[in-house]
Amino acid sequence: MVTLTIDGKTVEVPEGTTVLNAARAAGIEIPTLCDHPELTPYGGCRLCLVEIEGARTLMTSCTVPVGSNMKVQTKSPKVLAARKFVLSLIFSERNHFCPYCQVSGGDCDLQNSAYELDMTHWPLIPNYSPYPVDASHKYIVLDNNRCILCRRCVRACGELVGNHTLGFEERGAKSTLIADLGVPLGESTCVSCGTCVQVCPTGALIDRWSAYRGHRVDLDITQSICGGCSVGCSVEVLTRDNNLVRVEGDWEGPVNGGVLCERGRYSAVSEQRERITTPLVRKNGALEPATWEEALAAAAGRLQNREVAALASTRLSAEALYIFKKLFADGLKSGLVTTFEEGYTTAAASELAAARGAGFEGKLEDLKSADTVVIFGDDLTVEHRVAGFFVKRILPNGVRLLLVDTGANGLDGLSDLSLKYEPGKEVDVLRGIASAIIGKEESLASLAASTGIDAQSFQQAAELLKAAEKPVLVFGARFVAQQPQALPTLMDLADLTGAKVLGTKGGANSVTAAQYQLDSPFALNGHQVIYAALGDEDPSEDWVSRLSNVPGLVLQASYVSPLMDKADVVLPVANFQEQDGHFVNLEGRLQTARHALQPAADVRTNVEALTGLAAVLGVTVDDGWQEALAERLSSVAIAA
Amino acid sequence: MAKPKISSDWLCGCAGCHMSLLDIDERIALIAELADLRSTPITDLKEPDEEGVDVGILEGGINNSANEEVARKMRERAKILVALGDCAVFGGVPAMRNFCGIEEALKRAYVETESTDESGAVPDDPELAKMTRARALQEVVPVDVHVPGCPPSADTIFHVLSELAQGRRPELKDELLHWH
Repeated sequence: MVTLTIDGKTVEVPEGTTVLNAARAAGIEIPTLCDHPELTPYGGCRLCLVEIEGARTLMTSCTVPVGSNMKVQTKSPKVLAARKFVLSLIFSERNHFCPYCQVSGGDCDLQNSAYELDMTHWPLIPNYSPYPVDASHKYIVLDNNRCILCRRCVRACGELVGNHTLGFEERGAKSTLIADLGVPLGESTCVSCGTCVQVCPTGALIDRWSAYRGHRVDLDITQSICGGCSVGCSVEVLTRDNNLVRVEGDWEGPVNGGVLCERGRYSAVSEQRERITTPLVRKNGALEPATWEEALAAAAGRLQNREVAALASTRLSAEALYIFKKLFADGLKSGLVTTFEEGYTTAAASELAAARGAGFEGKLEDLKSADTVVIFGDDLTVEHRVAGFFVKRILPNGVRLLLVDTGANGLDGLSDLSLKYEPGKEVDVLRGIASAIIGKEESLASLAASTGIDAQSFQQAAELLKAAEKPVLVFGARFVAQQPQALPTLMDLADLTGAKVLGTKGGANSVTAAQYQLDSPFALNGHQVIYAALGDEDPSEDWVSRLSNVPGLVLQASYVSPLMDKADVVLPVANFQEQDGHFVNLEGRLQTARHALQPAADVRTNVEALTGLAAVLGVTVDDGWQEALAERLSSVAIAA
Repeated sequence: MAKPKISSDWLCGCAGCHMSLLDIDERIALIAELADLRSTPITDLKEPDEEGVDVGILEGGINNSANEEVARKMRERAKILVALGDCAVFGGVPAMRNFCGIEEALKRAYVETESTDESGAVPDDPELAKMTRARALQEVVPVDVHVPGCPPSADTIFHVLSELAQGRRPELKDELLHWH
């Protein structure tokens, strides 16, 4: 520990703490612009200058580590004058005229800093040189005229997302924020995660969708989670008068720590599908509007005394999935109650957990300390993208990346080694790597022939894993769903290398569906009617075709889809932002989604729709969803 | 003691700051009790008294030679000069043209507008004031009090006027200080 004095106050902090953080720990506020808690210190804006006794000049507190017996002044006349001067320089450098800026009036850190210093004006003549504006991106406008060169966006793009798209060209006053080597942002390697917009302290990077629709102080902010996939990122949903304005990553989020992917940030705001706002019942061949009473009675009429097969979306909450199971499996005694994922993303792990009598998967957190990451059968640039960010961001630390996949993978270019194998040969792939590790070279030739991976590549993979001290094996569903022995063999490799293991799963509540045993293949066998609790999911072409010839269909859905062509009854339900519920992410974290919007008058939540249907059918349902999560052994440790 | 004399005028602005001044509503009667309102764009007297005023208030930036003349006259005759609003303090919205230059701005305004036919031309009457870059007041004359805001809120303006009318220099903080 180091002891120092800040503004006369004695502070004790661990060695290596910056003066800025030491001051914060002591409750002393130092204004900053380029500093961000999630980013490495940069010392670019100079606003956090402090006076340190014995130092030749004022020092940037965000980059100076504390020293023993250091005496720091944060509010001396010299410091306050310097801060005003620094702000005057920044304001006069580019177009920082507030009246025509999107963030002015609450969301601008630069303007707020000036207010804090009671600045009524800046005493310098502005530099009226125009800088480039790039509006080529579908979600983001990049206006260099508003840029203060703090490089928060550059650091966020590199350090948090691992994408390194943003950078600067030129020097000094000519410094220009660019994408890649100067291509339009919309044509760059940008992955549209929007993290740069979220960290920009001024109006240099603005969100097209929410621009001029209000500042944070004007908006209602709901803490929730993303329903986009099994990663379960924490989000803040910003709304105004029951309109969705934008979605931001929650910096306090235990999973994502502020970042989101394109789906998480923009899918809800750019939703184009048409909503179903009233119950519909097919009469004389056409779907006609009906009351909920009529629609539930019609649905019950279709379901009663028939062989029913039931399907649910893994975007439904644990509460809804539990009632769904109670209603169809226990109440209507249907033998085919599953999800649209059919257990594809979880069944192998659930089976192995049962066989081992224990869970075996690690946590996303393990990626932070990994020195070698192997990804089997998942493209983390397409699905589970935030997990992909976690991998990409650690690569500059010297972390080795090994990819094992059947085809092209978005991370190929970043990998140390990328093995491509013949689909269906997963077990042999794992055996090949294991054989090379233990030096069983005689078997490599046949495994090479079987998998399409040459013996030398197996050796290289083995070298990577042998050198690893903290390896993490990440597996996607398509790697373990083909061959029953794939996951057990992968665990053998994990045991051999001392690796942590993590499966990426599928939808937001895949793990919950697995716990409720909603994980069987959807094999129709004389079923007379299908109940599809689609929720707000967009049915895949495959599902539309598979359900095109069913004898009867009752649909519980938020949006118009081709499945409606076949439906006898349609129950309109709330979308993800309109209902509360619990979700278990890929590592077993039990999280809460909260509604940020009110649905239309005739739209009900999934829980209400299923409960209403159960009541009409005379089936008793209860709210034992949480206990039911523990009824089956899981491959992950499920906990709040 | 004689009431302090206050004069105001507008330059390259939109009159919005004076509209905001009128938004102080009945409080203008309080100001009139405390101060002697002399020349303003909304009173009959059009120029500050030759013998001088205590407070001169200017809305708008300086955009041409005529603005410059008005500003210099106000500065000469006022003990305290107030820059009222973002255009006077920073250059404001008219300063947007500084990023493209006068020629481009004039062409866009007089020749290229969607409603202008082929006869459109930039006015060049020698009687017209000479255009300059849009400047903040402080670029041309020393300013004593800066009141930013687009426009400054009525509360801000009332605070400024009442402080000045009572012989104090107004300080802008918290809710009264805004640049938009």
